[in-house]
Amino acid sequence: MSSVKERADLALNNDFLRKAVRFTTERLRDGKRKAADDHGNWEEWRERGRQIRLHTIAHLDYYLHRFAEQARANGAHVHFASTGEEAVRIALEIAARKQARSVVKSKSMVSEELHVNRALEEAGVETVETDLGEYIIQLAGEAPSHIIIPAIHKNRYQIAELLSREAGEELPPETSVLAGFVRRKLRAKFLEADIGMTGCNFAIAETGSIVLFENEGNARMVSTVPKTQITFMGMERIIPSWSDLEVMATLLPRSATGQKLTVYMSGITGPRRSADGDGPEEMHIIILDNGRSEQLGDPEFQELLNCIRCGACLNACPVYRHIGGHAYGGTYSGPIGAVLTPALNKNVAEWDDIASASSLCGACYEACPVKIPLHDMLVYLRRRKVEQGYGNKLETAGMKGFAAVTANSKRFHQVLKAGRVLQRLVVRNGEIPAQIGPLKGWNRYRVAPSLANQPFRERWDSLQHELRASVEQTGTGAVAQERMREALLQRAAARPEGNGVPGRTHEVSGDQDGNATVRKEGQTYDG
Amino acid sequence: MMDNEYYEWLKTKEAEARQKQEQFMDRIAGKLKRPRQREAPAHPFRGAPAYWRELDWSLEERLARFEENFTAAGGHVVRLANFEAAKAYIAAMAQTLGARYILRQDDPLLAELGVDEVLTAEGARVSVWNGHRSEAWITRAAEADFGIVAADYAVAYTGSLVVRSAPEKGRSVSLLPTALFAIVPVDRLKTRLGEVLETFDKAGREALPAGIHFISGPSRSADIENDLTIGVHGPGVVFALLVG
Repeated sequence: MSSVKERADLALNNDFLRKAVRFTTERLRDGKRKAADDHGNWEEWRERGRQIRLHTIAHLDYYLHRFAEQARANGAHVHFASTGEEAVRIALEIAARKQARSVVKSKSMVSEELHVNRALEEAGVETVETDLGEYIIQLAGEAPSHIIIPAIHKNRYQIAELLSREAGEELPPETSVLAGFVRRKLRAKFLEADIGMTGCNFAIAETGSIVLFENEGNARMVSTVPKTQITFMGMERIIPSWSDLEVMATLLPRSATGQKLTVYMSGITGPRRSADGDGPEEMHIIILDNGRSEQLGDPEFQELLNCIRCGACLNACPVYRHIGGHAYGGTYSGPIGAVLTPALNKNVAEWDDIASASSLCGACYEACPVKIPLHDMLVYLRRRKVEQGYGNKLETAGMKGFAAVTANSKRFHQVLKAGRVLQRLVVRNGEIPAQIGPLKGWNRYRVAPSLANQPFRERWDSLQHELRASVEQTGTGAVAQERMREALLQRAAARPEGNGVPGRTHEVSGDQDGNATVRKEGQTYDG
Repeated sequence: MMDNEYYEWLKTKEAEARQKQEQFMDRIAGKLKRPRQREAPAHPFRGAPAYWRELDWSLEERLARFEENFTAAGGHVVRLANFEAAKAYIAAMAQTLGARYILRQDDPLLAELGVDEVLTAEGARVSVWNGHRSEAWITRAAEADFGIVAADYAVAYTGSLVVRSAPEKGRSVSLLPTALFAIVPVDRLKTRLGEVLETFDKAGREALPAGIHFISGPSRSADIENDLTIGVHGPGVVFALLVG
């Protein structure tokens, strides 16, 4: 697998991608800021959201068990899967038993984790993503690059080309035409599909209900029209009650898109009742672990399970805004992906280079509606990587060398002295512009400073002498004192009007030095 | 499909799942380094912050804020004095938009509205959803130009309509037609989301319908270059008729 750096370089070379990601993330980020301000007391709500999530995860065995029992009582079939493969196997079994020919899916990050589409297609079951963005990237054979806006990286011309191929005729690159085509095309798919697949934003333990947030109506379609519904649910999606949903419904849409509520919020409690005219006759809920329980009881990473998948950390992240989602290489991108992907995949060696794709600025934490300390987690990940021996060999050698050099003052001096001689090869005008060795990355956009010709330590003797001598005894000190004394005299003389506004005192003239001093002061006050 | 073999398979799967469920719960407790939590834990942070629960707008403010929010999301809000006016409004819109297929819920309130006769007289075909009768209901909904529902609640703060499913109230009625009309008697208009959500906690599991849908405007997407598109899958035209 390629490194995050190679994938980032690829993204950085794609001008449209970079502009589109920046535009979209800024729009979403500003929307969120405004929505949070409008709502008011945002910090209190964040804290409330965090407490509800902390409480649920701390008692997850109770709440998950309760959910499963209640969902069964509603008539749903509940399954548990430890791994992604297991979850896929269960879904395939259901599809086979139902002799399903086609599946319509609404957006689900969990199903992206499972690669269930590929498995279904291999089993000969047509699988159609129905979220507009997901449908577009499915046609393109790509993965989502943003948790909320999956096709953020495609422009309308590319989209028109993809959809034209599907339509068998040339479609103009106009949003309304393209969306209209998708509406007609997918409407037919909804009506003929045997199985509808959904994700699950929240699961309500008390009543065994699942809750879906969406804007297009496709999640409602897949949970209303086909005869069988399969819902994939991460085991941590639980909240205790409908009352708690008010807090999540306040935090999630505002943080994701700046909306007060998504166009549709649906609470689904079991399959259709016997006399209902629509809704699935059979409902399966597949509850997935896939590395999640690994975080439980881990003081550094348990809070990862609090995530409500809003994408606010992506929009806030300066790194994500530059490199886009694909550069992260996993199902989840941005700061949450940088932590979640390595956490869910215990294969540290392969994944954790994305933990380095962060400046640790903490913008993700500030944006997070449930206050997950992602920036701290990134540091823990880096530490674990080194502890497990997956550190960069050169970096480790460098750190060891640095320790050896700085542990002994004589050695330190000798190394600096040697450095001053050797640097002559690369210094230009007091700077080191060469993009070599460890300076390669740094010097791409900046220049490194050179070592001073005369080190501070060598100047220390004379500097110390100046400090120790009383101020009058030094040349510069005496001059400065004289200047200050005159300035004070002038200020006293200029105050008779008594207007007391310090910024106005410099009107009165004095000698050159004094005048300059006072004017400077005036500027300071005038701002 | 529901033959014996299939039923047996489901039973096997359930046995498997129950076993697996125990493993899951034991693992969670083990990871959390404590015995299994079998009793409901005290939940001190349930629901919205206390200050929020005191928010209670006057009817006029609820109406104004609902209109503001629902309109901002791209929906249409019309305030009408009585059912007679609502009936006239729907009939006029049907004529303007050339609606020929109408589907409504079998709700006493909508029967009282008496819109069927007017629309039928205009040449439209009116279907009344009722799962107790055998009919290709989803097809009726898919072909419908107008879906007419009575909202169980509305929420001013978020600009949302709330519809609960029932044999007489198909989920498709508010989803598949091109345009949606929701009649909202003003006394069903609440201030906060929580006022509606709490009723589901109070009612309890057995009393909940299969589908509860909060609808806050027309179906929308910004997936193509952030360009807002209305009516992607659900109704692109949504009217909230506030009556009373």
